[in-house]
Amino acid sequence: MTEALKLAVVGHTNVGKTSLLRTLTRDAGFGEVSHRPSTTRHVEGARLSVDGEALLELYDTPGLEDAIALLDYLERVERPGERLDGPARTARFLDGSEARQRFEQEAKVLRQLLASDAGLYVIDAREPVLAKYKDELAVLAGCGKPLLPVLNFVAQPGHREEEWRQALARLGLHALVRFDSVAPPVDGERRLYESLALLLEQARPKLQRLIEDHEAQAAARLVSGQRLIAELLVDVAACRRSVAAQPELERGAIRELHDAVRGREQRCVESLLRLYAFRKEQAAASDLPLLDGRWGDDLFNPETLKQLGVKIGSGMAAGAAAGAGVDLMVGGITLGAAALLGALAGGGAQTARHYGNRLLGKLKGQRELSVDDAVLRLLALRQRQLLAVLATRGHAATEAIRLATPQDQGWREGKLPDALQRCRAHPEWSSLNPGARLQDGERQAALDELQAELRQS
Amino acid sequence: MIARPAPDLDTLDRLWLTEAVRLREEHAGPLDDDEANRQARAQGGDLPVLIEQRALWLARRDGLVEALLHWRQGARLGGFALALLAVFTGAGLAFAALGDGQRPVNVFWALGSLLGLNLLTLLGWLLGLLFAGDSGGALGRLWLWLSEKLARDARAAQLAPALLSVLHQHRLGRWLLGVGVHGLWLLAMGSALLTLLALLATRRYGFVWETTILGESAFVGLTQALGALPALLGFSVPDAGQIRASGALGGDLEGARQLWAGWLVGVLLIYGLLPRLLLAGFSLWRWRRGRAALKLDLSLPAYRLLRERLQPPSERLGISDAAPAQLHAPSAGAQLEGSAGAVLVAIELDGSRPWPPALSKGIADAGILDDREGRRRLLDQLTRFPPARLAIACDPRRSPDRGTLALIGELSRCAAATRVWLLQAPPGEALDSARLDDWHQALDSLGLPHSTTTPLGWLESGHD
Repeated sequence: MTEALKLAVVGHTNVGKTSLLRTLTRDAGFGEVSHRPSTTRHVEGARLSVDGEALLELYDTPGLEDAIALLDYLERVERPGERLDGPARTARFLDGSEARQRFEQEAKVLRQLLASDAGLYVIDAREPVLAKYKDELAVLAGCGKPLLPVLNFVAQPGHREEEWRQALARLGLHALVRFDSVAPPVDGERRLYESLALLLEQARPKLQRLIEDHEAQAAARLVSGQRLIAELLVDVAACRRSVAAQPELERGAIRELHDAVRGREQRCVESLLRLYAFRKEQAAASDLPLLDGRWGDDLFNPETLKQLGVKIGSGMAAGAAAGAGVDLMVGGITLGAAALLGALAGGGAQTARHYGNRLLGKLKGQRELSVDDAVLRLLALRQRQLLAVLATRGHAATEAIRLATPQDQGWREGKLPDALQRCRAHPEWSSLNPGARLQDGERQAALDELQAELRQS
Repeated sequence: MIARPAPDLDTLDRLWLTEAVRLREEHAGPLDDDEANRQARAQGGDLPVLIEQRALWLARRDGLVEALLHWRQGARLGGFALALLAVFTGAGLAFAALGDGQRPVNVFWALGSLLGLNLLTLLGWLLGLLFAGDSGGALGRLWLWLSEKLARDARAAQLAPALLSVLHQHRLGRWLLGVGVHGLWLLAMGSALLTLLALLATRRYGFVWETTILGESAFVGLTQALGALPALLGFSVPDAGQIRASGALGGDLEGARQLWAGWLVGVLLIYGLLPRLLLAGFSLWRWRRGRAALKLDLSLPAYRLLRERLQPPSERLGISDAAPAQLHAPSAGAQLEGSAGAVLVAIELDGSRPWPPALSKGIADAGILDDREGRRRLLDQLTRFPPARLAIACDPRRSPDRGTLALIGELSRCAAATRVWLLQAPPGEALDSARLDDWHQALDSLGLPHSTTTPLGWLESGHD
């Protein structure tokens, strides 16, 4: 087994070095990130492996803050009549006492860069090109290692990418990568590693392997995510509650059904977060707006549905009509039932009873509650949005996930996929029902079908 | 103590246990698997091997392996019992078909009792194979239900669903079931054949056929049609005259006795035994082939998560160069002797705002400090002609790094009094309050007065 490629992540303080590491390692808990300067004061490493083989080691370093003074000092360590090259000068500085005092942090960076194969020079592209950054690059160049500038925060307004490109070109650094650690572009990692492979030709096979593995993993994660959503939809579509036709009992059952579905959705959200290595607590209470903002809206609240453009009118009408019809058939003795049914439909949970069942249940004084089509569509929309957001989210992101109003019409208005329609007739497919048969072959087939549907649309 | 791995776990058993552990974790939440993961990683291998090792370790710990061995033992016993039953059934069929020899044997009744049930169940199996979507079939579901009822503890409860789930992967359930069903019928037919031969060898049977409404020719044709295939193998077929004779009331039973016996054995062999043998062989072949192709379905979300733990794509290496107890802190000061005049200097401003502001005559403008040369020049000059009042303008959108603070400190040591002016954001932009706070803290620790309001009045007059 060959040695892993070592990279030092260097740059000015507060430009997002630790954030870059978090995103590249998909480890949201790596190091500490804050707005304060000098947050990271130590050197910390992370290793990227494929199939158990270490390919890349990344080292987070403290920020360079005093490069102007350090460059002055470096020029002074040369004795009269001597001509030292960059690495020799740097080595002499590291042996000296200032490397343990005023320039202790800078010395850490230089030592790590000397021990690495190359450096990623992180730039906050929102900053103007100041002289101190040029001096930083001069200090770093003294280590004699290839440097790849990485423009961070290019997805944010007010960045000065063009200025930086010109300035870096003047310094002889023509290869550079745009990589926003909070919202990394889809092919960001590939570009970063490919640019690196141009600087380090002998490391190309390793980097290529890393790129391929990461892309394969991303695709596989997406498939797994779709599987999780399909399971949620099957569970909810097949969920059913049987309840005696008494208003209090029915209200209780509806509430219980709501809670069960909401709980199930929360489980799906948590599974997706885990799948994408975002921690639950990291994104829970305030960060992931499942409890507040739009996520926190009651799932069965008609307002939410309207907001998402889901049409529940037909459900309401059908529910009310069916309820009234049933009331008429039993001689109008349960006048409250039609109103209740309307309320159910309005609340999103519709008494979806097949005709025979309906009459039979009515005669026995039983009603069957299941979840409205509109709610299923909403669940599918929300989870697919979440999946799409997670797939492109950097692990440095700390802001809450915000979801826009979904645009695709298929799930909003079209008819539900056949697989979901089938679930309606199979209460035993839902983990929310007692006596569930989750390994049922037909259920697995429905899941596969649904997963394919989710992939297409 | 963890027992050593049972040596006789084959590929199917291992996959079965792995699936059982997966289902358990799916239903009852994740297991405590730190040690299992470590052990699996220590043994090495690619991902499916690691997942399997981990699952086997957990299965051993939680008694799933014993449960599986128990289950297999039970299945073996059940198999023996069924085989025994099949043997007796076959023998019983033959006895029932031939009777005790007191009365002549009705050949078509005998044929019906030997082959009827067999052919009916065969038809059922074929229909099930063609039309039933569910590979488990009714028998599979019955078995699942039974094993649920019989499962004594929760740990083993996932064994039966896990087997079905593994077998579902290549629709193997039907072929395993096929091997069982056809094997049992093969046994029954074999036993019937042997019993038949033994009875025919040791007893004297006469063979007749009877009818009330059918004609003679129907029986002649049927007998010869059924006998055609066995005849290819050399089994005897009675000719038309002998068949007619057997049908006649009080006819001659002696002449065709052996021919009828040969015909009966031949028909049983070809239509009873042979189809079952072929189907059992076919099922066995499909089962073997499917079993060899079984593997873990790595696309399952549970295995995706396991991959992150068993073969972590990224791991932390820890701190290799520890943080110092204290960072180097720049300091401020004042030069009180011989200072005169007022100077305004700005540090690291970008071009987005007009600079300098309109200054009265008493204030000198030292421009914008950015590069080393500018700094050195200004410091030289201030050291030579220290000002009484120095105002340093900073843009709080930049971060207050040590280099900037050191410069502010160095500048302050060249003047009698120094103030820092934190500039307002240019129109249309807002200051980041967190970063402004950082500036306040940094300047407070330097001990320099700072403000966001303009210090030009102070520079000019020396008081606010």
